Amino acid sequence: MRTIRRRLVPYGLLAPGAIWLLLFFVVPMYYMGEMALRSGALETGGFRFTWEWANFPDALEGRGELITRTFFYTVTATVLALLIAYPLAYAIAIKVSRRWRLLLLFAVIAPFFTTYLVRTIAWKTILADPSPMVDFLKTVGIVPENGRVLATPGAVIAGLTYTFLPFMILPIYASLERIDLSLIEAAKDLYASARQAFLRVTLPLTMPGIVAGVLLTFIPAFGDYVNATVLGGPNQAMIGNKIQSLYLVERDYPEAAAFSFLMMAAVLVMVLIYIRAAGTEAFMGEEDEGR
Amino acid sequence: MREHKIWRLAIAVACLVGVSVLAACGGDDVGGGNNEDIQVAESGPVEGKLTISNWPGYIDPGPNGTVAEFEKKTGVEVDYIDDFTGNTQFFGKLQPQLAEGNSGGRDIIVPSDWMAKKMYDLGYLQEVDHADLQTVFDNILPQFETAAGDPERKFMIPWQGGLTGIWVDTAKAPEIDSISDLFDPKYKGKVTMLDELRDTIPLVLQSEGIDVDTATKEDWLAAIDKIDKAVDSGQIRRLTDNSYTEDLTAGNAVASIGWSGDASLIGRDTVEWRKPTDGCDTFFDQMVIPVGAPNTAAALAFMNFVYQPKVQADIAAYINYVQPVAGVQEILKKRDPKLGNDKLIFPPEEFTAGCSEDPDPPGDVEDVSEVEAAYQDVVSG
Repeated sequence: MRTIRRRLVPYGLLAPGAIWLLLFFVVPMYYMGEMALRSGALETGGFRFTWEWANFPDALEGRGELITRTFFYTVTATVLALLIAYPLAYAIAIKVSRRWRLLLLFAVIAPFFTTYLVRTIAWKTILADPSPMVDFLKTVGIVPENGRVLATPGAVIAGLTYTFLPFMILPIYASLERIDLSLIEAAKDLYASARQAFLRVTLPLTMPGIVAGVLLTFIPAFGDYVNATVLGGPNQAMIGNKIQSLYLVERDYPEAAAFSFLMMAAVLVMVLIYIRAAGTEAFMGEEDEGR
Repeated sequence: MREHKIWRLAIAVACLVGVSVLAACGGDDVGGGNNEDIQVAESGPVEGKLTISNWPGYIDPGPNGTVAEFEKKTGVEVDYIDDFTGNTQFFGKLQPQLAEGNSGGRDIIVPSDWMAKKMYDLGYLQEVDHADLQTVFDNILPQFETAAGDPERKFMIPWQGGLTGIWVDTAKAPEIDSISDLFDPKYKGKVTMLDELRDTIPLVLQSEGIDVDTATKEDWLAAIDKIDKAVDSGQIRRLTDNSYTEDLTAGNAVASIGWSGDASLIGRDTVEWRKPTDGCDTFFDQMVIPVGAPNTAAALAFMNFVYQPKVQADIAAYINYVQPVAGVQEILKKRDPKLGNDKLIFPPEEFTAGCSEDPDPPGDVEDVSEVEAAYQDVVSG
């Protein structure tokens, strides 16, 4: 009896997560998959299950520009977030005093105290055409004299970068903070320049943080539609906007479900390629070695 | 070892059963109309809670406003939500619930007439008994006694209406007075239009000299294409729902296609509404009681309440839309002659003559949804 119970422990520990995943991932996926194969229209008697595989090609038809644009915005925002987050996390984890570290970490997390929607709408006010911020950007020359910020690709990319930046900072900070500083000292003792020490020691040790940060930024940014809705115009729409419109405005549930599926599949493939390229050690950490 | 396998099997079976039970709970048909057994809204004692979903800026919600007055008179607690920002979005949000006979707790919603008709045809609305709406039918202006979508007023009671035209920031672009002006490159990136197909497209058609009544599907698609090109060139900044007012308030837009009574939402003196010289469109929003409304008695009482001329005069004075109640103009003329003679609240017949009335695109259901999808592709990429 005791051995049985002991064998059950892993299942018991997995159970809450497994049930959660079953209820909120597997079941909705089943419904979505089933919906993606229906056909019909709301006005003519609803959607019936007919193995309508044509929904999948239909979902992509004529949407090349939308898909490329979404991909471009997301990759740009992820790269920008990484470029901003790494030096910042480095400074917080290694360069500043303990007191400052707490304060700066708090500053990174503070935006979460307000909902994401409200923060995005606040940007709309800050970046309005007649606004001190835009006047300043014009003076500096970032924005042309007769230009604007809102309803441009730049506004949407900046919004995405801003929204997901903390998700990039925190994992990188966590991996930087764990670095044993004597390793860097040792590298320098062995005549490594600061640059070499960084590239050979610090950067490889923080790869798990970078990989996690990139995933945590890229995946939600790819499906985001709030930034494009609030800060963009019709020509800055992303895949998320189209799916939302298919569900709520056109009410073509099957095509919306098919498009969602294809988007998830695309993200999955991109993530797999990325993890493959980055190496699983970078993703899972290297602690498994030698076990 | 054996027990181990049995346990695993048991867990697997339990999971499978769980999934199939959950899956079976969902109905087979999704959506689909049913108007065979339409209910009549029940009257009864007026008490409890009343939930109303309306467009933004469509009533005075303040402590001395119409909602508060109704609460004081009847003891009904009103939950007044202004979450109706566009016909199609609101319908899209609520439709899955309505299909199951559930209104999401709402007792009155206020779609435009074409949408009200569509909801009725799908079996999503309750009918009203005229005996329960004595005040409404005693006071309704003669021109509103019937409606194209509901000749006998079986299900929709007029709330407010108005004209779709152009809001112009007179400080920045005083010369704009037509829909054609909105396509002038001078205003590139400073113009917005409505994402409501039935408002925007008829205006664009008229500006090209096309009669909306006889326009073909191809005409509609060509107008949509014209807007698409203007979006691509950066001429049109955004295609929006009721939030177009925000771009005018913030100064992002110098001219927007918009609704005649939204001055209070825009809140800027330099922005004024103009009837385009090359077209016009009118609409009327209708109070309807959705299926599954929890408190139809209070809903009927509210309809009667707002059809008292004095109450309606307060509403008209606050929001400046076209109102449907007789005797209001006289009250307002006495109270404030400027309001009492306002053409936008009391439009003379010749003012709205020849206006389109939020028309459907021509053709059958499939043609309509083809045109709707084409416009939606412009709106959402």
